[in-house]
Order: sequence, then C-alpha cells, then structure tokens
Amino acid sequence: MRIEVRLYATLRRYALSAADGVLSIVVPEGSKASDVIASVGVNADEVHIVMVNGVSSPLDQVLAEGDRLGLFPPVGGG
Amino acid sequence: MTREDSLALLARGEIPERYKRNIGTIGIDGQKRLLKARVAIVGAGGLGGTIIELLARQGVGFLRIIDGDSFELVNLNRQLLATERTMGMNKAVSAAARVAEINSEVETHAVPAMFNEDNATELLSDMNVIVDALDTINCRLLLCRMAQKLKIPLVHAAIAGFTGQVGTILPTGPGLEKLFKTTGSSETRIETVLGNPAATPAVAAAIQAQEVVKLLTGVGETLSHKLLYFDTELNIYELLHLG
Repeated sequence: MRIEVRLYATLRRYALSAADGVLSIVVPEGSKASDVIASVGVNADEVHIVMVNGVSSPLDQVLAEGDRLGLFPPVGGG
Repeated sequence: MTREDSLALLARGEIPERYKRNIGTIGIDGQKRLLKARVAIVGAGGLGGTIIELLARQGVGFLRIIDGDSFELVNLNRQLLATERTMGMNKAVSAAARVAEINSEVETHAVPAMFNEDNATELLSDMNVIVDALDTINCRLLLCRMAQKLKIPLVHAAIAGFTGQVGTILPTGPGLEKLFKTTGSSETRIETVLGNPAATPAVAAAIQAQEVVKLLTGVGETLSHKLLYFDTELNIYELLHLG
C-alpha cells in the first residue's frame, strides 16, 4: 500500500530525495508507524510526535492505504 | 486612571481611551474580563517577553512573572526585554518594570526564582490561565502536570529555528506528554542544532497571547486539544489534533 511520510524540521535530513521532507512510499499491508520509521531510516529516538492524518497516534498505530504519517522531533526552545 | 477607574467606566458602557482599539475585537465585556483576570507567565525569555508585552497592552489585570534567570548577551538576538541596559538584570523583575511603563493599570508580581515542584502550587493556584514560556522539556512537563492538577488552562508554545508549536492544554484533556517523550533522551532538543532566531519566538508568543485573550474572554475558538505547528522555512502551518 502507498502512504505519505512527512518529516518535519531536523527529521527532514532523512528524506534524501525530497528537500521538503515529504515522501510517497510503498509499505506492506498492516505496517505500523514504527515499521515505517525504521524503513525510512529515521532514528526512532528523535521522533517525539507521531501524527496519522493529523491526529496524535501511538507508534504501534496500524496504517492504511493513503494515510499521511507525520513525524516530529522535540521542539523545546523558548 | 487606575484599573478600578477603567472597570467603572466599562461598567457604564464607556470605553477607556487606552482600550478603544480592543473593543471591536473582544467587546466591553471582554475587556472587563481581561482587567479582572490573573495570568501567570512562567519564563520571561524569548516567548515570555513578547507575551508579557502583549498582555500588558491588551489590559490583563494581573500578571505573575516567574523567572530566576538574568539577561545575558546571548539573549539579545530575540528576547524583547533583553537590552544592553538590562544585561545582568533578573528577567522577571525587568519584565515587571516594562509592564509598569506600558500600562500602570496592570498589577505585576515578579518572582525572581525558577519554577519547580516546591513553589508550583503557591505560584499557580490563584491563576485563571497559565502560560508555558519555558525552555526545557522537563520543566514544561512539570508545569503541565501542575496546571492539570490545579485545573487551570495552560497555553503552551515551544520553538526551534524556523519551527514552532502552540497549543492549549485543558485540565481534562491530553497533556504535553503527547508532545514529548517522557523516557529516554527527552532533553535532546532540536533548538540546540537549529538555534533560536529573532522572529520565531515572537510568532509563537503572539499566538499564545491571543490564546490567553480567547480563554479569558470566551471570544473565538481556542487551540484546546490541538497543536498549531508552523515551519516558516517551508511555509507549513498545520493544525494537529492531540486526540
């Protein structure tokens, strides 16, 4: 199934083929957010927020065809 | 004019000159609510300096400003209250002095101490809204826990580089643990790489101030249970749901 992965801020550096951090990739049916993080080579320790279709979701969220997976690093400055 | 004078005018349906440009936005009732409100701003740095400036101008009646830090040269690029004259001065005390110059109707309580578990209840329990203008994740998580325990709305923001996030945490909704891992390297923050430039904290702080106004007046729709994420480098503005 095809999903969209959006990498934000410092995580964009993992999207070598897309300067805007947006990847369209094919993953096996039943893949979880954590599986996709591993398959695109993102260091899971750097991911603090996982959004599926704009909704905060756990790492073990099972994805569906066409889902938009957003991965965010921790932003803490003030 | 004192705050009581302004409240007396507003009670008669008259508008004090200094609040005239507020009324079309929040109404006379909204201005009365602001003047009677008590808000704690935790942190008077990049976010806090701008929030305090805006809330004083808007006419929030009482501001408790909490920060144990003093201004350093490295703050000058972005912190509104950091000037060559205020170097070495405590941030909370400097903020209260600035408020007095802007709007003497606003009462301030400067707390030149770091927010922590021991002083949290005393500093926060009599507030209507709390503003998270901190700069460490562990302190933010503590502040959120305390705000939810005390059943007071918390307006959160954090920034790094061109990126920022703003959201409102309500006592019964999801907390900041949705945004920050509480285990492992939770203090590995991206601003150490991306920096804290001049405009990003001002953008986030302005939205925070607007959230405070909406919470206190009941005007509009707040960012409760939501996170507004922006990345001005790529013109990304996303409204995310904390579930």
